[in-house]
Amino acid sequence: MIRFDKVFLRYDTGISLRDLNFTIDKDEFVYLYGDSGSGKSSILKMIYMDMFPNAGTVDVLGADSSNIKRRDIAMIRQKIGMVFQDFHLLSDRDIYSNIALPLEIQGAKADEVRSKVTSKADELGIRSRLSHYPHELSAGEQQRVALARAIVNSPDILLADEPIAHLDAKAAADVVRYIWKIHDAGTSVVFATHNETLLKKDPARTMTLVSGEVVKDRQL
Amino acid sequence: MKLSYIIREGIIGIKRSRMPFMISVFSVTIALLIVGLGVLAVDNSLQFIGEFQADYDLEIFLENEATTFEKTELAAIVKDYPGIFRMDYLSKEDAAALYNAEFGEDVLSLLDDNPLPSSFRITFEDDHRSADYILTFIQNMNELDGVDEVIFKKDLFNRVQGIMQLVYTVATITLFLIILSTVFLTANNLRLMILARYEFIETVRLLGASDFLVKAPFFLEGGILGFLGASLSVLLIILAEYGIKYYVHLDLPVKIIDHPEVILGLILFGVSLSSLGVLKAVRKMLRFVA
Repeated sequence: MIRFDKVFLRYDTGISLRDLNFTIDKDEFVYLYGDSGSGKSSILKMIYMDMFPNAGTVDVLGADSSNIKRRDIAMIRQKIGMVFQDFHLLSDRDIYSNIALPLEIQGAKADEVRSKVTSKADELGIRSRLSHYPHELSAGEQQRVALARAIVNSPDILLADEPIAHLDAKAAADVVRYIWKIHDAGTSVVFATHNETLLKKDPARTMTLVSGEVVKDRQL
Repeated sequence: MKLSYIIREGIIGIKRSRMPFMISVFSVTIALLIVGLGVLAVDNSLQFIGEFQADYDLEIFLENEATTFEKTELAAIVKDYPGIFRMDYLSKEDAAALYNAEFGEDVLSLLDDNPLPSSFRITFEDDHRSADYILTFIQNMNELDGVDEVIFKKDLFNRVQGIMQLVYTVATITLFLIILSTVFLTANNLRLMILARYEFIETVRLLGASDFLVKAPFFLEGGILGFLGASLSVLLIILAEYGIKYYVHLDLPVKIIDHPEVILGLILFGVSLSSLGVLKAVRKMLRFVA
């Protein structure tokens, strides 16, 4: 599903990723664990083709980073759900419209959009918030909206970039619980975090990154 | 459904950024108002200057002895000459009547016989109206039987043509500069409008929207913006024309309302300027959004 083959990445800032070789299979749950600047977000960005390696290849759902066309990136992204620590919700749209956006982009019919949005909102406990705007919601609720948006079109992969970094303990626990639920329903999850407690509480395969290198890949 | 997404997002975009949208409409209106008024000012100036010219460019006087057959043949030759816009025949009687109208005296009462010759009055097509071309024409006419004399007021003709050419050249350069600055200012304004929508563009790209799907609603929005701006500018020009007529008591010879092709041109210019300007701004932004 995801394969990094001899991947090197160098930024303008001088930080770089070195010799990344790993595979993430279908239905896997993988933590990318490391401090800030260790390269977790860059790995996620390479998976959703926002960044491209200087050497080596990244293969995602059969698409090769070395020869992918711009229009194919859009197609790949339609199969990947993403959640970020700062939610990335559109502040001028209500929650319903935010969650509906991926479906509308894919050209889903209005009935389908309505049923899927309400169903995901139900699953994530935000049904009553559909007519509200993001700024009217708590951080935990906003992240659940982002999650609903990420999975509303049933993606093959869910990428979570420090999704609980800005949440209190209760909201963070809720979000993690939902992400595990999504995984249990058959979605592969790549979860970037610096939170060691989380790894102990909900263990899974963990790739530890230090200064752009995978120093440990602990399988369960 | 994607088409409905494009239309809906285009309209939502307008609703959500009402103020920048209105400012952009206003800037397009001002820009096209300047262009439209410029075009009309030039056309009217050329018309006013053109009025200093005689109703015709030159007059071919025929010999008194010219027979009807010769006159008919001459008329055919002149009519077929390339670049002739109009040819009027003035008989000896017409010439006497004109003399009478101009000087208030009957030429037949002064002289027993009508000494005034018959003539052809010639007007050239605009693209053949040059002194060189007319002089060649005169040379050719002088060689024909039955032609007595060709009168061409070359100095007046040259002066009027010169002024018209100068006005035309200056106006073309000025209009070009105005259009250039209009395009630049409008594009800049549209870029600012699009910049305010960075969050939306970045998010929909992340959610899997293709470049086309990102650009299309903005293209539509730009088209609507340009249409409104251009229509408003046309409306203001028409109001200005009425204002000039009723308050300055000057009936302009060239009015936009009589020229639907100019109205259409302005609207098309406004629509393309805005939609392409928006498209360019979005394309530029997409370079920074992976």
